[in-house]
Amino acid sequence: MSKRTVAGRVLLAGLAVLVAGCTSAGPGPVQKSGDPVAPTAQAGVLRVLAGSELQDMAPVLEEARKATGVSVQFAWTGSLDGADAVSSGRADGKYDAVWFPSDHYLRLDDGGKAKLATESPVMVSPVAVGVRTSVLGELGWGDGSKVTWAQVADAASAGKLSYGMSDPTRSNSGFSALVAVASAFSGANSALTDADVQKATPSLKQFFAGQKLTSGSSGWLAQAYGRAEPGRIGALVNYESVLLSMNRTLPADAQLTVVRPTDGVVSADYPLALLASAGQRERESFQRLTAYLLKEDVQRKISETTLRRPVTPGVAPAAGLPADRRRELPFPGSKAVADGLLASYQNELRRPSRTVYVLDTSGSMSGGRLASLKSAMARLTGSDDSRGTTRFRDREEVTLISFASKVKSTKTHSVPAQDSKAELASIDRDVQALGADGGTAVYSSLEEAYRVIDRQQSTAKDDRFTSIVLMTDGESNEGASADDFKSFYQGLPSSGRAVPVFPILFGDAAKGQLQGIADVTGGKLFDGTGSLEGAFEEIRGYQ
Amino acid sequence: MLAALVLLGGVLFAVLHRAPADDGGITVVKGVIGSEKREFFADPEVVAELKAQHLRVDAITTGSWQMADADLSGNDFAFPASLSPAEEIRAAHKVSGEPVRPFYSPLVVIAHAPVAEVLRSNGLAARAESGVWTFKMDQYLDVVRRDRNWSDLKDVAGHAELAGAVYVTTTDPATSSSGALHLAEVSYLANERRVVSDDAGVGRVRDLVRKVTAMQGDQKTSSDGPFKDFLSNVGSPLVLVYESQVAALTAQGKPTGDLVVLYPDTTVSSDHTMVGLTDNGKKLADLLRDDAKLRALAVRYGFRPQGDPGAFGAALNAKAGPVFASDLSAAGIQQAPVPAVKVLNQLVAAAKGK
Repeated sequence: MSKRTVAGRVLLAGLAVLVAGCTSAGPGPVQKSGDPVAPTAQAGVLRVLAGSELQDMAPVLEEARKATGVSVQFAWTGSLDGADAVSSGRADGKYDAVWFPSDHYLRLDDGGKAKLATESPVMVSPVAVGVRTSVLGELGWGDGSKVTWAQVADAASAGKLSYGMSDPTRSNSGFSALVAVASAFSGANSALTDADVQKATPSLKQFFAGQKLTSGSSGWLAQAYGRAEPGRIGALVNYESVLLSMNRTLPADAQLTVVRPTDGVVSADYPLALLASAGQRERESFQRLTAYLLKEDVQRKISETTLRRPVTPGVAPAAGLPADRRRELPFPGSKAVADGLLASYQNELRRPSRTVYVLDTSGSMSGGRLASLKSAMARLTGSDDSRGTTRFRDREEVTLISFASKVKSTKTHSVPAQDSKAELASIDRDVQALGADGGTAVYSSLEEAYRVIDRQQSTAKDDRFTSIVLMTDGESNEGASADDFKSFYQGLPSSGRAVPVFPILFGDAAKGQLQGIADVTGGKLFDGTGSLEGAFEEIRGYQ
Repeated sequence: MLAALVLLGGVLFAVLHRAPADDGGITVVKGVIGSEKREFFADPEVVAELKAQHLRVDAITTGSWQMADADLSGNDFAFPASLSPAEEIRAAHKVSGEPVRPFYSPLVVIAHAPVAEVLRSNGLAARAESGVWTFKMDQYLDVVRRDRNWSDLKDVAGHAELAGAVYVTTTDPATSSSGALHLAEVSYLANERRVVSDDAGVGRVRDLVRKVTAMQGDQKTSSDGPFKDFLSNVGSPLVLVYESQVAALTAQGKPTGDLVVLYPDTTVSSDHTMVGLTDNGKKLADLLRDDAKLRALAVRYGFRPQGDPGAFGAALNAKAGPVFASDLSAAGIQQAPVPAVKVLNQLVAAAKGK
């Protein structure tokens, strides 16, 4: 596991939301990195580090508060980052419990396992493929009840099926899907081994040829599916419950048919787990809350509200949840196999990325701010990263654009498929050479980034995951205006409009401008005011 | 004491009834219990009957295998889920007298009815005229040794969920009693029906205990997890649980769908063994064993009272749901002895590839 030098950075990437005030399961507020959530313990409050999927439990938890006197105060993070936070002890004393879709990854670490006092599964949802109903017909998959992962891979490699899936190094749904397809393609009859992963590699590459959207969070993935032009994204890999919930608001032509491949699925069972470090009072709160959540009427309400499956015997699943059984594929039994699978995903299996960093090096960045930028970027060129969460991946094309009053420099690096060290060091040298002076021309510089991407795409004639990261500490005060940029963006070809900008709020940046850029381009705003490193690392999940 | 327990995995405090200061005549008996007995001790009728006997139990729950290492000072009793840790606790605390086993529960394999039929047609299970199902352990271990998959068996057509290797899903033996007892059962059979007692024995069974564990991949830490998954219809086809987990549902009139209870023909029982550390603890142990009301209430939680062999069958056979074996030995179910804790730890280490 990568050693994290800044304590709590990832752990704290999220936003504390008191359940009472959290009613929306929408895309959520700005991703704030380094926000010190988790105040000291207080009576009747259970501080829970959780997956953002659990936002949909807000109505149930509000009733739980009335019935038990226990309110849940969430801090959100991805499942795998959450597991790291628990294993490393960074959750001790800050949280009383953790609640992720699954504890599989956490249990692979003996140290992490020992941090949990007890856990209780609360509900279940298998990871499935939601296929746009029209695409289902084109593929001849009938009602979707007989589809295998191999058929999905064949359709993907033939260019007939494009899909979105969250980043397996961040999110349990992506990781579960990766385990499921690796099991299916290797023919592994029991838990995956390294040899199975090797065997599955060619088929996995075919499967991932169809992945057109990636994401660090399932909420953004759903949004991106919604805004993609018709026909570009044919399917989404996600929990059955998320896919069915999306159908509640998707227009008729974008409705998803949930396919649970017949060769097996990996399910999430949402264990609510008490940390061993929790105090006596919090233990009692945990007990009361758990007992409440397992009551028959509450389980019924959970299933109807969230479309997950109940775990208490005798409680029927909500209408629309299919009853036919699927094989539950075993999860790898060792961290080495799991991390090996994740590293292969990042460096070998997935479609390569094209990432453009548009970096503000105006005068106001001089001193500490530039030093923060250099150190945050340096982490992306480091090698201490066993599952490939952070660093630039093998085969990734990285362009650094530094700007002030205008673009100062544009430098493109291609990380080779093997022996990437020298190229990573070269990227780092370019970053460390940056100097700060001049004004701030945000929009003109972004336009230049899109032009660079257009040239790269037409030269390489490839189809990579492409995204722009914009880091600025100020307000655009030179060059193109917001309206200019909007017209420029609208005039781009569809390949250009598909490229999102992920702006990072830093220093005295104008939040409104940056949110506008995220909205126009289908990106997402990240808050780097607490930790710039944390923001850069979060964004890796979207690249 | 608490601080020491907090350091252990699997610890859960269950403050069952916080008492005002003692009113006269009621003795508070403090102890540690396995979590599977939490609901029994919290049952209002159990509380009332103990009160009628002038006792009130104040217990916290913890993993059975961890009680032996814990500092138990200040407690009147320890109530693990099996005999071996009870023996360790007795030795560590120099407790004289026999340990009391008020009730017990055998390990069983659960499956959906159509899957049980597939097992039967392949000689892996049998159904007696009484309706009691048995699971053929030797045949099962042979299937594991030979890497047989569900697709190698007959009559699996139409069962999409029956794919991949045939194995029984258990909990993590390093943290959970049922997973460890499964290793006891497997090692006994693999050691030519002799309890493993030395390094040579561990060596003989090493490959098989490693195999039955490794093929499962990540294992859950408590038997609650796989059982709930099964009931949610998403779990593995064959899951090892305590009979009491299923029997409690049946005794309380809760539906279990088409769940079938298969008794391994050689199984291990979870001997809920009470170690009285003080006179009050011993008094509680005797009450749990001898009090007719408490015995009947234990059946409500799926346990078999030692002192009343007929009570379990009498209560369960009248209920709708899976068929339970009223009398284990009459049903041809044998008990595998459990190795000493030290050997069991070696088996767990072998199973985990350590």
